Amino acid sequence: MTFTVIPSLDILGGRVVRLTRGDFASAHAYGDAEEILDGLQLPAGCALHVVDLDGSRDGSPRAVEVIRRLSRRDVRIQAAGGIRTTADARRLLDAGAERVVTGTLAAEDSDAFRELVRAIGAERIVAAIDILDGRVRVSGWQREACLDLEAVLHEVERSGVEEILVTDISRDGTLGGPSFGLYRRLARKTKLKIIASGGVATLGDVVSLARIPNVRGCVIGKALLDGRFSFREAKERAGARDAIPVRVIPCLDVRGGRVVKGVNFAAIRDAGDPEECAARYEADGADELVVLDISATGQRRATALETVERVAGALFIPLTAGGGVRTIEDFRALLRAGADRVAINTAAVQKPDLIREARAEFGAQAVVLSCDAKKSGQGYEVMVRGGKEPAGIDAVQWCAAAAEMGCGEILLTSVDRDGTHGGFDLGLLRAVSAAVRVSIIASGGAGSCEHFREAVEHGAQAVLAASQFHDGHMRISDVKRYLDAEGIPVR
Amino acid sequence: MTRVLLIDSPVANSASIARALRAAGADLQISSDPDDVRRASRLVLPGVGTFGAAMSWLRRTGNDDAIRDAVARGAALLGICVGHQLLFDGSEEWGAGEDTGAPYGGLGLIRGIVRKLACSLPVPQIGWNRVKWTGASTRLFDGIADSTPFYFVHSYAATSCDAEVASAAYGVSFTAAVQQANVFGVQFHPEKSSAAGLRILRNYVMMQ
Repeated sequence: MTFTVIPSLDILGGRVVRLTRGDFASAHAYGDAEEILDGLQLPAGCALHVVDLDGSRDGSPRAVEVIRRLSRRDVRIQAAGGIRTTADARRLLDAGAERVVTGTLAAEDSDAFRELVRAIGAERIVAAIDILDGRVRVSGWQREACLDLEAVLHEVERSGVEEILVTDISRDGTLGGPSFGLYRRLARKTKLKIIASGGVATLGDVVSLARIPNVRGCVIGKALLDGRFSFREAKERAGARDAIPVRVIPCLDVRGGRVVKGVNFAAIRDAGDPEECAARYEADGADELVVLDISATGQRRATALETVERVAGALFIPLTAGGGVRTIEDFRALLRAGADRVAINTAAVQKPDLIREARAEFGAQAVVLSCDAKKSGQGYEVMVRGGKEPAGIDAVQWCAAAAEMGCGEILLTSVDRDGTHGGFDLGLLRAVSAAVRVSIIASGGAGSCEHFREAVEHGAQAVLAASQFHDGHMRISDVKRYLDAEGIPVR
Repeated sequence: MTRVLLIDSPVANSASIARALRAAGADLQISSDPDDVRRASRLVLPGVGTFGAAMSWLRRTGNDDAIRDAVARGAALLGICVGHQLLFDGSEEWGAGEDTGAPYGGLGLIRGIVRKLACSLPVPQIGWNRVKWTGASTRLFDGIADSTPFYFVHSYAATSCDAEVASAAYGVSFTAAVQQANVFGVQFHPEKSSAAGLRILRNYVMMQ
């Protein structure tokens, strides 16, 4: 099923602007509509969402001239804002819009809405539903609608209009991520085609929306205007949403040749034989395995290598090994022992050149940056030495720098969430995934299948857990079945 | 047990492939001696790292001609990952442009050029990806369902060559597997692709 990426231009006073959470006082001006459109480099026949903010506030279209100018370009315009009567809609269609988007009518005036459908045809109408805290808002989001969500959905369904454009006002223009939960709930309530709007900040957001059943497209404003990614990239990623399975990765924390598990990087206890665990996980559908030897320093390195060799010998899936890696020689020894990739943590912080050297020597695919991050004020701080010691650097910047230097992947662990089973740190995942293009393995906090889904929705390409699998609280095959049922591709 | 010779290139993950081939039922000989290669009836050419490094090694050791001779005699050959890329005329990674050839060519057993993955997704591609049948059916994929995921690690790939039997999509469509008479190649890593990967190796090892 094709997924439509719809760039959006908000027009205020004849110019393109962006509001944050629908607040007119927050308007940020981008410039002339035609110039902005050129800058977006859209393909011929591309859909374009144009919001007439003046019209929306005043209750009558004000940006008809802008629509007329834009429609001379090779774009299919859906015009929104201030459409209250059939005459309003006709003016916009006459000016060159292909479709009109109306929210207020469907939510407030059923008679006028039905009249509009009769006059111009259901196929030329998109019904907008703007939601704040579960309630429908109208008139440029300024007030609550007469009808509730269920009633609006019902009204649209019976009108013959097939598409609803759903905006979560609390997310709009914040780049904080779309309300995946809202769209999933809506997709269960109605068969209408859903166009998601608001909060798209990363390519991962586009992919996550495209994976929700019934979500057939998304409107993207700020992220495209700010050049965070291009239309072509968004389209490409959405098209590949099912191609690349999300990886479910069990992690073996090893000490002295035994699997152990700690809570918040402390309170260690025994959890079994690494080789047996590894083989069991592969049989249950693990896509990959991580072995971190937390005791692998000094004379204990030999034991660590032996463990990796034993685990590698039991597997026919990729193996990432880490723990106490200090030098290129440590790297080489682990690869020789059978690891496909090596994770580096403290040593990379102390000597970032190690990433470059390892990349040059073994290739980017062999280099995994393991980053332990802890919430600190508004941001996240890198922790080293097994998550115990603050490194004094920003985790998001560090991940971006490491990706730039050539790590092929980032194993991102929330020290705060590790072992708590309270869910992954989604803010951390969002922040890092917006800053890097390499894939991210989310780690720390898995406690339920839903947590894995959230991590993927917020930017992870792989999800990792240790104790949940060791303790038998969850099976890898159950997690994969759940993700598959939620539209997230797995192997 | 079928005798299989694994070409022991230093630019390869030979240990993993050897283990998987044994698990797939091969009576395995591991050698880098061109005389052994020339005499073998079933060859596996592994490879990780860069096309240039892998091809240079084949040339330096005389294994390039040995492989060609063996194939000309009717020996079967399976290239894996960079080993699969080496089957082609050349690679962008090693100076091949629109009109390729010596001195930067590959083995030239399969027509086509290997190119950098041209997409916005993270490169190298690291992970599982579904493999779709595109060409004539091949014995290599006996018992494997269409669109089964296999494990890939690569930055370069051939695209839509005549010998293609399977493709995968990573932003762009690329060749995932080739077969031309007795020459086979897979861009993915069967030795890291769990049961499905082992099945492919077994198909190759047991092929009549």
